[in-house]
Amino acid sequence: MPTEDKKLSITENATLQIASPKSSALKRFTNFVGAENLSLIIALIIMVALIATQTEFFFSARNLMNIGQNMAVVGLIAVGMTLVIVSAGLDISVGSIAGCASVVCALTVTQMGTVTGGVFAGMGIGIILGLINATIISILRVNPVVATLATFSAFRGVAFLIAPDGRPVGVLDPNLAWLGSGRLFQTESFPGLPVAFLLLVLVAVVAHFVMTSTVFGRSIYSMGGNPVAARLAGINLTRMRYAIYAVSGALSGLAGVLVTARTSSGQPASGTQGLELEAITAVFLGGALMAGGKGTIVGSMLAVLLLATLSNGMNLLGIPTFYQLVAKGLLLVLAVAIGQWRLARSEKQQAKLAAAGK
Amino acid sequence: MSSAILDVQGVGKSFPGVKALSNVSMKVFPGEVVAFVGENGAGKSTFLKILCGDYTLDEGKVALDGTEVSHASPLEARNAGFRLVRQEPEIVPHISAAENIFIGEYPRRASGRVDHAKMRQITTEMLERYGFVGVLDIDALGRTLSPAQQHIVEILRALKDGVKVVAFDEPTASLTTEEADRLFALIRQLRKEGLGIIYVSHRLHEVMEISDRVVVLKDGVQTGDLRIEETTEQDIVNLMVGRELAHGYSRDEVSTPEVVLEVENLSSRWHRDISFQIRAGEIVGFAGLVGAGRTELAKVLFGEFEKSGGTVKICGEVKTIRSPADAIAANIGFAPENRKAEGLILVRSVIENASMAVYSALARMGVLRTSAMIEKVSPFIQKLEIKTPSLEQEVGKLSGGNQQKVVLARWLAAAPRLLILDEPTRAVDVGAKAEIYRLIDDLSKQGLAIMMISSEMPELLSMSDRIIVMRDGQISEPIEKQDATEEAIVNLALGTKAA
Repeated sequence: MPTEDKKLSITENATLQIASPKSSALKRFTNFVGAENLSLIIALIIMVALIATQTEFFFSARNLMNIGQNMAVVGLIAVGMTLVIVSAGLDISVGSIAGCASVVCALTVTQMGTVTGGVFAGMGIGIILGLINATIISILRVNPVVATLATFSAFRGVAFLIAPDGRPVGVLDPNLAWLGSGRLFQTESFPGLPVAFLLLVLVAVVAHFVMTSTVFGRSIYSMGGNPVAARLAGINLTRMRYAIYAVSGALSGLAGVLVTARTSSGQPASGTQGLELEAITAVFLGGALMAGGKGTIVGSMLAVLLLATLSNGMNLLGIPTFYQLVAKGLLLVLAVAIGQWRLARSEKQQAKLAAAGK
Repeated sequence: MSSAILDVQGVGKSFPGVKALSNVSMKVFPGEVVAFVGENGAGKSTFLKILCGDYTLDEGKVALDGTEVSHASPLEARNAGFRLVRQEPEIVPHISAAENIFIGEYPRRASGRVDHAKMRQITTEMLERYGFVGVLDIDALGRTLSPAQQHIVEILRALKDGVKVVAFDEPTASLTTEEADRLFALIRQLRKEGLGIIYVSHRLHEVMEISDRVVVLKDGVQTGDLRIEETTEQDIVNLMVGRELAHGYSRDEVSTPEVVLEVENLSSRWHRDISFQIRAGEIVGFAGLVGAGRTELAKVLFGEFEKSGGTVKICGEVKTIRSPADAIAANIGFAPENRKAEGLILVRSVIENASMAVYSALARMGVLRTSAMIEKVSPFIQKLEIKTPSLEQEVGKLSGGNQQKVVLARWLAAAPRLLILDEPTRAVDVGAKAEIYRLIDDLSKQGLAIMMISSEMPELLSMSDRIIVMRDGQISEPIEKQDATEEAIVNLALGTKAA
């Protein structure tokens, strides 16, 4: 985010421009959101226009609220997933972690009567499970896909094991329910904003700052782009991996807490299944590369919004769930294919430069 | 003289926005070795790919032994008799050397099954004919082959029946001197057998030794086609770069008595009992064959590999270095040999790549502002004259020389006392090389101690204040600059006594 209007003259024939001072408003906007994100915004606008012409209900306050609440759960996981994928890893176990956290949160609230304790317990179990993932990947040297595929199954089992008799744990606490379906800034003319959605915005803003303006975030980009070079520049890859998977676990745990809050029960499975697919799709759709080193929180969040709108629209239009599942699968392929295509294109440009001998 | 076995007339090739080759004409006669030289990006690879049938040409004609093959596919070009010995051959790891040689063209029995007996017999005959008996075990699996053996497999692939013209692309890059000599013997034999040979190399002394004629390319244009006995290395260089180039690089000694690096009795998996010192302002060159343990020594010093014994002192203090992070904290910098694999993050920007090693130092409470990165790094980017459209440019989109300078900028920003450079000018073109030498010289003048690993003799001889030769994980006594000769270094590297 270079904002200085200063020019550094490097050589006579090459001028180093940090930001051209007279860029148009449109250009500045494109720079801010990034060219890749611009296509997401355009896709979102087209989709909204299409859905809105088919059903008036789309723009109703209740529906928009609904989209905001649905986004929160996937969105929190997608924030953590962005860190993981940028570091050239993958975390398939996020949905199962959320399931565990949902049950742990419900148990804590019912047995100890503290909502704050429940939230922290949910995030805590998420961190522990994330650290287990990191240990399997770093110490046992198991490929992240395989490691988290294994814990995807194992953690789901744990969720059923800690729930008494493997059944959902009912929890009736108004404070917890407020977290799931409450609103803030409600006035007579304004219906307010969902608490869960605001929580996501807060987390995303913090994560954006971490990714762009801290040593930790910058190091994630470095290690994802080239782990050997990152290590030779003094970055401790093992420690980074522990931190990254712990963050992913904590945010998955928080997502699980939101599920408990919204459904008033600790759910070992329902409500958290399939979250890994949606989060991974969102991160790739948001511009992250399969190979690591690229991806932004802004992009991932736009993609989460796009996906939430898409599935909301398909529900409103009465498209059966089975078709929706197929559509989600196709989207994941499309998202990764676009990334690969971009990569191939930039490699071609590099080849051209090399051929030109520049 | 008989008619040309390879006749290239007015060949040109463009890529979108780039004219890679224009109007190249050359002939190769049977029993002739024609060298192809030029800077990186001069069009040599494009030319070889056209001959191979990998690229189709836009203009001109190519004829092999009288048959036009201008628009041949790779298979047609191969069947017509043109063979390329690639620099980095594709070897299948889980099949034998003989199977690798015959891959895609296995001899078959009448029943359609692969005739292993015949394959082994032909391979054995070829080994005898070309003097590789005892060098290559035909039953060894691909993954067990050394780079030199892989190269032999690639050569035998090329020499299988029907060969008329063989092109060698940088054949000595991964070979030891001894192996290179064997290759030259082979090339002389092929010349005697009447094949046409194209020899592409950066190493001009090899070109002078082995070839009959030399074709020079510069920016896709042919700038010379000379008989070797009528030319000199300097003439060829002038045609390549189109300007006079000072022979080598000379520098004044600037070292001071202050010892920056002191290694005592260092041992590791690769090394035994290594002791040496580097003083402030001194450049110590490390010579040796590939596999002597030079890169490994750099990585042991930098904490990437483990040491099993001995001490390392920086400016008189004993340092425990267990990771690159420890090494950076001990004021050591390391620019690795393989820029793309180990040095740079190609998908990230110039500014990030240049400031990576100082992230923690620039941050306050873990917060790292872009402005702090720019402030720290841009002076070095300017000083090194890195040509980049912006600091946000992806490093992968810069040229080789500029990429290497980004790695240097990273270590300048970290302000180390000791800088380890592993093959600092590998895959950098001649013009950029001179610039990098000047930079290294400047750094030593500022009091840096520099350990420079290099396989290029002129570079070692002109840049180093002292030269240490490594062989089998041990080091020689340092050779002082005034006593350093190519012969002395080669003898130490090979373990032969000077005559």
